[in-house]
Amino acid sequence: MPAPRSLGTFPISPAMKAKLTSAGFLTVSDLQDLKPSELSKELGVSAEAALEVIKTVFQEDPGGSGSRRSSTMKSVTALEMLQVERSLPNIFTFSEKLDDILGGGVPLAKITEFCGAPGIGKTQVCMQLGIDVQIPECFGGLDGETVYVDTEGSFIVERLVDIASATVEHCNNIAQMDGSDDVKEAASNFSLEKLLSGIHYFRCHDYIELLSTVHILPKFLSENKKVKLVIVDSIAFHFRHDFDDMSLRTRLLTSMAQSFIRLATEHKLAVVLTNQMTTKMGGGAAGGSHLIPALGESWGHASTIRVVLYWEGNNRYALLYKSPSKKEAVVPFQITMGGIRDVHSEGTTQSVHETGENPSKRQRVS
Amino acid sequence: MSISDLDIHPRIIGSLQKARFQSFEAILSLSSADIERATGLSTGDVSILKQAVAESVPKPPVVTALELLKGSDSVVPIRKLSTGCPIIDKHLKGGILSRGITEISGESASGKTQLCLQLCLTVQLPLEHGGLGGGAVYVCTEDVFPNKRLHQVIQHFTRKWSPPRLQQDLTNLGDNIFVEHVAEHESLMFCVHKKIPILLAKGMVKLVVIDSVAALFRCEYGQGETVKRAKHMASFAAHLHKLGHQYNIPIVCVNQVSANLSSNSSQNPVLPALGLSWSNQIMCRLMLRRTRQKVVLPVQPVHGGRENIECAVRMLEVMFAPHLPPGACAFVVDHQGVSGLE
Repeated sequence: MPAPRSLGTFPISPAMKAKLTSAGFLTVSDLQDLKPSELSKELGVSAEAALEVIKTVFQEDPGGSGSRRSSTMKSVTALEMLQVERSLPNIFTFSEKLDDILGGGVPLAKITEFCGAPGIGKTQVCMQLGIDVQIPECFGGLDGETVYVDTEGSFIVERLVDIASATVEHCNNIAQMDGSDDVKEAASNFSLEKLLSGIHYFRCHDYIELLSTVHILPKFLSENKKVKLVIVDSIAFHFRHDFDDMSLRTRLLTSMAQSFIRLATEHKLAVVLTNQMTTKMGGGAAGGSHLIPALGESWGHASTIRVVLYWEGNNRYALLYKSPSKKEAVVPFQITMGGIRDVHSEGTTQSVHETGENPSKRQRVS
Repeated sequence: MSISDLDIHPRIIGSLQKARFQSFEAILSLSSADIERATGLSTGDVSILKQAVAESVPKPPVVTALELLKGSDSVVPIRKLSTGCPIIDKHLKGGILSRGITEISGESASGKTQLCLQLCLTVQLPLEHGGLGGGAVYVCTEDVFPNKRLHQVIQHFTRKWSPPRLQQDLTNLGDNIFVEHVAEHESLMFCVHKKIPILLAKGMVKLVVIDSVAALFRCEYGQGETVKRAKHMASFAAHLHKLGHQYNIPIVCVNQVSANLSSNSSQNPVLPALGLSWSNQIMCRLMLRRTRQKVVLPVQPVHGGRENIECAVRMLEVMFAPHLPPGACAFVVDHQGVSGLE
């Protein structure tokens, strides 16, 4: 018979753990068949606290026979996980090439980070995604809603109206060509007003407002179950000044990252964050400086997928910097009146190409 | 609102006060396990506490994008400050936004100060004419404030905006422009943290112009002090943002340029100064430059008669803005001020 599980491995508060240890309760078998009132007397805590401990450690037998079995973490096979992941749709960006390198678009249940210098188009990408997630399913969308957390104030509604109008027109064109009744009905319901009312806008003016907004999001999401995308534009803005204590900053960022991961997996939604770039001195090919995503190395672990947007001459490029499933690739893109689109070059057949050297590292400080 | 006002069990508030937690910030900055250790509260209590604190932190209510567009009680509308010329306004889709920091950069004598002076006048127009109905604060860090030029422009401005165009004559335009001269970082901080908020709180000022940010931040910091400089710039910009959104006013910062060292001839020969750490703080970047072209314009001086004068054609380019496509607009600086060309 396997050794009984130690109580220290359960998610009980440290104070309670200390009390349990000093009272002599070390493993699950020590708590077996103990009534909550008896435990509360032994430990010197309230009956509710003792009940909480017993609930955490044990799982009531679903058959109701009253016997207790030690709770185990629910395990799933990798095959089950693969099937779940494959069934989750992606949010496309309207740039086919960008969608390609992402593996079909921005994935649900994961954190995707877009980094870039000012003016490259991070807010435009966010607005585009905020609209695209609302596209009805018959047009390939997710029929969802968006939570947009704006920390910089760069969310200008007039621009969103441009992008939304272009998307409505696009869907109407598809409906015209398709001709079937349900598609036409979906297109007629898909209006500018509906698109705008599907974006829930939170404005945060400092890091405390941002932290508190992230705290209340779970409750908001349980009341607005249609939300399939949470955008934070940008995560860096309030964390790059007035932080003398860098370890506090790292702690706060890490706990926010954990909250986002929890939101993404529990509610099966996509989390999109934007980040700024910062200059790293030395290390480049010519001994000069190059640009890296801001917020430091520890933040680099927060997102599952990282895309760096950058300029080369007058053209915009997107580099898939980090991804667990797709390999590093660079694609060009442009920003039109209607939003993010592919670049159509006349001469060369520009397709996704792999790069040996990271092109963003050649960029000079601007 | 303080901790004792929270809508939670008094026992929890008591534990917080015993553990000397005094602000919402302190509670939100710590992890749940840290709070449990410090106060001895249980996990359930701490999560109730954090939820209550998060809901009590004052922040704007959530609205939908439709409400932002149509306007509602909980939405503060973005205002646009007209530049005084309808052609430039059209190019900027209304004017300077009352959101974030708008940067006007360019080489010396490209027209930055002229444009800022004009903004200090248009801000005094009523709302329906593209102004904001208030005065301006002009913080000079470089040369002396161009008083003579201001008065020359005021004469033409008052003539242009006299009745019946406006309800009543514009008077004392110069009195509503508060000029501050600052020479170094400390006086700039004092000005921005103490003096300007007083004027803003009285409602007398609806525009803040800093001419220029580059002058101060470029010369005061030595070679190895880039981190310190970046930190000061970031906290300066953060404070300007705070003032901007608190009073819903535009903030304009003038910047100088430096040579573009990447040897790509198709790109701009000059770039705005102060680097990436400054560009990350601004929302809109406008660049002014002179061209070699000249244009002849008929003018009507104040004293009567007609004349033809030759003006250099300049360009106003939108480098980036969240709501504007990149593009350039031609303009001239004449004795009336800044006016766009078709």
